[in-house]
Amino acid sequence: MSAVAEARTGTVRASRPRGGGRVRESVARWLFLAPAVAYILIFFGYPVVQNVVMSFQDYTTRTFFTGEAPWVGFANYAEVIGSYVFGTALSNTALFTLGSIVGQFVIGLLFALFFHRRFPLSNVLRSLLLLPWLIPIIAGTSVWKWILDQDGGVANQLLGAFGIPAVPWLSSPDVALIAVIIVNIWIGIPFNTTLLYSGLQGIPEELYEAAALDGATGWKAFWHITWPSLRPVVTVVLVLGVIYTLKVLEVILGLTGGGPANATATLATESYFRSFREFQFGEGAAVSNILILFSLVFAVIYLRANRKQVDE
Amino acid sequence: MKKTSPRRTLPMTAVGIVLLALMLFPVYWMVNVSLQGGGMAASSSFFPLSPDFSGYEKALSQQTGNLLTSIVVALGTVLVTLVISTPAAYALAQFRLRGGAFVQFALLIAQMIPGIVIANSLYALFNNLRLVNTIPGLILADSTHAVPFAILIMTAFMRAIPPSLVEAARVDGAGHFRAFWSIIVPVSRNSIITAALFSFLFAWSDFIFALTLTSSNTVKPITLGIYDYLEGNVQSWGPVLATAVMASLPAIVLLVVAQRYIAAGALGGSVK
Amino acid sequence: MKKITLASGALAATAALALAGCAGGTPSEPVDRGDITLTITDTLSETSAPVYQEVYDACAAEIGIAGVEATHVAGSGHIAKLLQQIASRDLPDVVMIDNPDVQQIASSGALSPLTEYGIDTADFPEGVIAAGSYDGELYGVAPMVNSLGLIYNVELLEAAGVEVPTTWDELREAAQALTQGSTYGIAFSAANSFEGTWQFLPWMWSNGGNEDDLTSPEVVGALEFVTSLVQDGSASASVVGWSQNDVTDQFIAGNAAMMINGPWNLPRLTSAEGLEFEITTIPVPNAGDDVVAPLGGETFTVPVNEDSAVQEAAGAFVACLAQDEHQITMAAGRGGVPSSPSAGAAAIEANPYIAAFVDTVATARARTGLLGEAWPDAATKIYTAVQIALTGQQSPEAALEQVAG
Repeated sequence: MSAVAEARTGTVRASRPRGGGRVRESVARWLFLAPAVAYILIFFGYPVVQNVVMSFQDYTTRTFFTGEAPWVGFANYAEVIGSYVFGTALSNTALFTLGSIVGQFVIGLLFALFFHRRFPLSNVLRSLLLLPWLIPIIAGTSVWKWILDQDGGVANQLLGAFGIPAVPWLSSPDVALIAVIIVNIWIGIPFNTTLLYSGLQGIPEELYEAAALDGATGWKAFWHITWPSLRPVVTVVLVLGVIYTLKVLEVILGLTGGGPANATATLATESYFRSFREFQFGEGAAVSNILILFSLVFAVIYLRANRKQVDE
Repeated sequence: MKKTSPRRTLPMTAVGIVLLALMLFPVYWMVNVSLQGGGMAASSSFFPLSPDFSGYEKALSQQTGNLLTSIVVALGTVLVTLVISTPAAYALAQFRLRGGAFVQFALLIAQMIPGIVIANSLYALFNNLRLVNTIPGLILADSTHAVPFAILIMTAFMRAIPPSLVEAARVDGAGHFRAFWSIIVPVSRNSIITAALFSFLFAWSDFIFALTLTSSNTVKPITLGIYDYLEGNVQSWGPVLATAVMASLPAIVLLVVAQRYIAAGALGGSVK
Repeated sequence: MKKITLASGALAATAALALAGCAGGTPSEPVDRGDITLTITDTLSETSAPVYQEVYDACAAEIGIAGVEATHVAGSGHIAKLLQQIASRDLPDVVMIDNPDVQQIASSGALSPLTEYGIDTADFPEGVIAAGSYDGELYGVAPMVNSLGLIYNVELLEAAGVEVPTTWDELREAAQALTQGSTYGIAFSAANSFEGTWQFLPWMWSNGGNEDDLTSPEVVGALEFVTSLVQDGSASASVVGWSQNDVTDQFIAGNAAMMINGPWNLPRLTSAEGLEFEITTIPVPNAGDDVVAPLGGETFTVPVNEDSAVQEAAGAFVACLAQDEHQITMAAGRGGVPSSPSAGAAAIEANPYIAAFVDTVATARARTGLLGEAWPDAATKIYTAVQIALTGQQSPEAALEQVAG
């Protein structure tokens, strides 16, 4: 391996200190990480442990006052998984996540590629693209609700101008999930575009020039240069995208409240309803832990698969 | 970046504008309805022929304080996040620390936790520390949205920095921190700004901590202020939408300014 | 707020004891409870808050405290915050709680019974008492309540030659006759939330159905009726997504000739240009039946306070809020009905539109009256079944069987 490659894949290997110096070196390195580790333990460690414990308890409003929460083992999980909504919520969550990620990623990538070239106003336009993500969710979802209203909404009016019959966007169980996915894609495009754009900007121009000399342009250039170079950023975007999408709550609550007839009920909404509508916090915690489990499994699988690809 | 002649690229500007117009139609609709009183949200016309500014009057007179709070909290979050995350990202990217992979995984898990779960724990903690209803408290809490993401993003970018850069400085006798501050930070400037940007946006759009950790009108981010106009059965959409528009403006201005830096490339491409 | 010293605390306590001996809630002589500032949390919007602030200040003066500090919380986050505060023993001195939530919060043990504060509720309708009671004790009192009624567009009814319906059959026919062009005959909310449940209750209860037996023929009949309105095309399919606020939007825009809604809309309705509307009680299944509608309105509660003097002041404050004159102020400013019937007559004089609601409230029923803490579970089943039936996924009977199941 050449010295350059070695240096690039290696780590900082400063002159090896001897004896006690090595300990000091190690301590100095960990000091860089220490604030972050402390922050994570305090702000994330305790909540996640508490949430897991809560899922095994009968945690009600009374518990908030008395602190008593009888241990019920897996009863909450059994209740949650056995309820007639669970299957629907599960499949909705999967579809919602899949649809949102694919839509956000593909459109985000297309936008990123589009903005990759400099043209007048590209900076301003790229910033304006962040608006869907910026707008307070309650305002955004309310506006979409009006746009998608079956009778008077602008969407159906526009469709009507083309002779397409009105679509029951939010009032039909068959269409509602699609409508919610569309809105979530809309909100998620800015995040994807910004990160993918950053990634694109980091690809050295020389690679494209060298490839062009060999006659590889357009689609070939994308497949052989852009895509592999983007790999690390794509990983971050997809993994985080799934994690964030699984948590989505306010978007669905604002648009359909989980309906109609549970057509847009997801594990996230179920967790919220169980805790804050039915005051069964143990059950709500159980659902959110199931959600975290899915996130975890996905992260592990994806990262493993990715590592394998990188090694090849 | 490909630099082509302006004449070649003007069509792209046109296409760009059309695409943006399509994407931002709901934003236009929001402004449109906000100027038609919001009360007739059911049947607003395409264009506000006789704009009604009452919503904006209310928003401007009542929410500017909250807007300021949001800005201060968001900027504070950026600061705290960068202070915590940048060294951590450097350590994870460049030092082969035992447990480094574990920390990265923990960061992923941290982001899987629903906000309300964290909010409940934080309330109890902050109550004891008298951090409720304070701006520092909000800053610390909002950083939970930003720190894991910032670390992950900057780690990814810092991995591409050749260790030779730092080694040279260390050989000259510079300590870890000196090397970090004088070399790594300038070199990673663009990824740091990307992380700062997202930290700002995450903090800006936070609602759950704004709701949980404040109970007065003195410290009230605008995401919470917007709910002043929403009651159980009666919702005044005019002021709500006007506030939303007002809330989006400073952020957009900031982004236009910051995008210049992100444009230059955040992945180690700046390292030549 | 704990801003008083032990000495004045003792003084205030003595004064309170003396007061407690008085019958009724109105002190006959000025009282000084010392330098107490009560913290109040309510869920009022920026429009309603000033109305209540007037009453808060008046009562603060009446009971002789330094003042009140009112904080307004977004309704959607109110319960979450309350629970956090309960856990930290950090509750405000007075808390506004929507009446269906009172039993849940009271069950935690964090609230104090209101009986000690001399609140005179002998007059109040049964529903109002039931809503604020838990385990036989009164924990929350609602000075202002509301319910549901049939609000109709006078011009549209005249134009179609339709008489004001009083029974279900009449309503169904009227709705069909009124559905013309882009106007639906009737609009209501059947959303995927407790708002949807709330709107279904008048039909269910007036038909004799109960929430503890959702598969009974009465409940099925009620659901069949509501479903028929959508199937006839008299109500938009979008009702499954509309909040009551959206319904009002539709009504004002002329997209619906009639709507099922409440008195909180009156400020908006009266200021809508060119809108001529009237209000009547919700039609009943058969002529001569009684309408049984749900009781709405927020209660004021007094959390248990480690400072007994403050708690006593809070109790006196709430007792003051419940007086007739303040009920009328709140009801008039916000669009509601005073709780006590004696104030009702004066309120109708000031605002004739609420007459139908005053009648309805007299026989209105508390949502938690029958099931108490178990209400949220039943409420969820109800709105789910309504949604399943209205979207045509299953017949009303099958829908109810599924959720009850």
